[in-house]
Amino acid sequence: MIELKNVTKSYEINKNNIVVALNDVSMKIGEGELVVLRGASGSGKSSVLSLIAALSKPTTGEVIVDTKQISKLPDNFASEYRRDNIGFVFQKYNLITTLSVKENILLPLVPLNPDPDDADEKLTRVMEMFKISHKKDAIIKNLSGGEQQRVAIARANVNEPKIIIADEPTANLDEKLSLHFIEMLKELKKLNKTIVIATHDPLFFGLDIVDREIEMHNGAII
Amino acid sequence: MRKKINFYLIEYAINAILRQKYKNIFIATTLTFLIFLLTSIFFITNSIKYELNSTVDALPEIVVQKIKAGRHYDIETHATEEILAITGVVDAVARVWGYYYFENAGVNFSLVGVDEFEAQYKESLQRVVETSELMNTQDSSMVVGRGVKDTMQKNYYKDYFNFIKPDGTLKRVDLVGVFDGDTQLESNDIIVMSKADVREIFDMRESMATDIVVKVSNPDEVATIASKIKLVFPDSRIITKNDLKISYQNIFDYKSGIFLALFVVSLFTFFIIIYDKASGLSSEEKREIGILKAIGWRVDDVLKEKFYEGFIISFFSYMIGVILAVGFVYIFQAPLLQNIFTGYSQLKTSFELPFIFDVQTLFLVFFLSVPIYIAATIIPSWKISTLDADEVIR
Repeated sequence: MIELKNVTKSYEINKNNIVVALNDVSMKIGEGELVVLRGASGSGKSSVLSLIAALSKPTTGEVIVDTKQISKLPDNFASEYRRDNIGFVFQKYNLITTLSVKENILLPLVPLNPDPDDADEKLTRVMEMFKISHKKDAIIKNLSGGEQQRVAIARANVNEPKIIIADEPTANLDEKLSLHFIEMLKELKKLNKTIVIATHDPLFFGLDIVDREIEMHNGAII
Repeated sequence: MRKKINFYLIEYAINAILRQKYKNIFIATTLTFLIFLLTSIFFITNSIKYELNSTVDALPEIVVQKIKAGRHYDIETHATEEILAITGVVDAVARVWGYYYFENAGVNFSLVGVDEFEAQYKESLQRVVETSELMNTQDSSMVVGRGVKDTMQKNYYKDYFNFIKPDGTLKRVDLVGVFDGDTQLESNDIIVMSKADVREIFDMRESMATDIVVKVSNPDEVATIASKIKLVFPDSRIITKNDLKISYQNIFDYKSGIFLALFVVSLFTFFIIIYDKASGLSSEEKREIGILKAIGWRVDDVLKEKFYEGFIISFFSYMIGVILAVGFVYIFQAPLLQNIFTGYSQLKTSFELPFIFDVQTLFLVFFLSVPIYIAATIIPSWKISTLDADEVIR
């Protein structure tokens, strides 16, 4: 389903300073698989997620999702690809903190101009699934970290994407909330979603729902 | 098939505006004020232009005045016969008129004399003679312009007025009617009465007139006839309609200069706002665009949303600014601003600005404000939204 072929990603800080985030990385992730990318900060985990989500383009190499090469997609097609296929849970949630829970969750649907009934149905489904219905009209900045993360996951799932990507999802949570997150992952796994998580949280290592762990170091798979 | 309006996007744009409430209120208020100022300037200019054009159109083609050592003196009425003998002259009418200073109100009235059996040089005066009670009363009577009536009433003169003659005695003249001229500028300060009464008030002999107005059959021959009159009366000053037009235009242009300065200041302020807006987004605004891109918004979705934001603020400001300008100019008669323009007639009674609906003005102000503001909102967002979402979020 997801394939990275000899991918290199480098960032130019300035003319004399080029950082290589990924160096000739290749991997395959099957449909419905839950893969954990392990490694210390700066090992290249987030760069892999960013490439799979078409948030950035590889310097060299190919990223293929469902037989389509997404690494060369023009900007608008990349947006459509993300909208239709990807649910991204960011480390800092990346919610719009002055909007309500409902408004944040509906954001990915806004450009599609959905029928109000359809939008309501999708909203209700994800809010119930991730147990955030009681905070529907609350403003994000007034929510706890755990509640914000539920909203982020609900938003990532409102379009019913095939692929869920989570970047350090438990970095800002205590152990209890982290375990709640893992429960939510189990729900998503049951729905046969392909899930890729970048983390260095030991809670994920050896979990029964995790199909595979990929260790990364200095931009390469070890 | 027509695309449905995306109300979700409009709602998001409204929310985005409300999230930066104070900043946007400040921008909208400034924009509204500038649009109000610009529109008011254009409205006043158009109204006064209309009044002046109408006044100039009603002016006589040639006016003959007697001059002694450069000063204007009364002219003998029999001069009309000699002028009528000039080929091309259709009519020559001796006018009896003058300014009367009404000290209580600090304004000048124009006293104009008419004669029942004489064709008037102006249609509006002819109407007054034909329709008013002026010529039907035995006693001295007058018909006045609306502004004169108001000024007199404010000073407790309702039915008559006592004019002070040069020898210090009083001349009572009854008020028998009010008339509206073709334009307020020409009629507002006018008092029409019989020539005999005007002569008495100004202590003018019966054989004398203030000046003579001349009508010609062919307007192209005005200059030739003017020079012929000059030959017959070397001690006269010949004023053609064109001379008066230029003199009116000069006053108008001078006043326009002040308005042009206001206009430039308004535009300058507006472009400072635009420059500030176009020069970049805050890190919070950039991050928000990055988030929207990351969750699947296309560049054009972001731009549409920014378009709505800019449109809502600028169109709202435009509408309020124009409505305020209409109220300010046509209902409240542009206090302060009108004084700049009509200051030269401080000694005249005030006049009302006529309502001139000029679509061009509304379009001009619209295109000077709304599209420019929208562009200033969209351009920086476009720059950010075309970057990789990953780069923007980080």
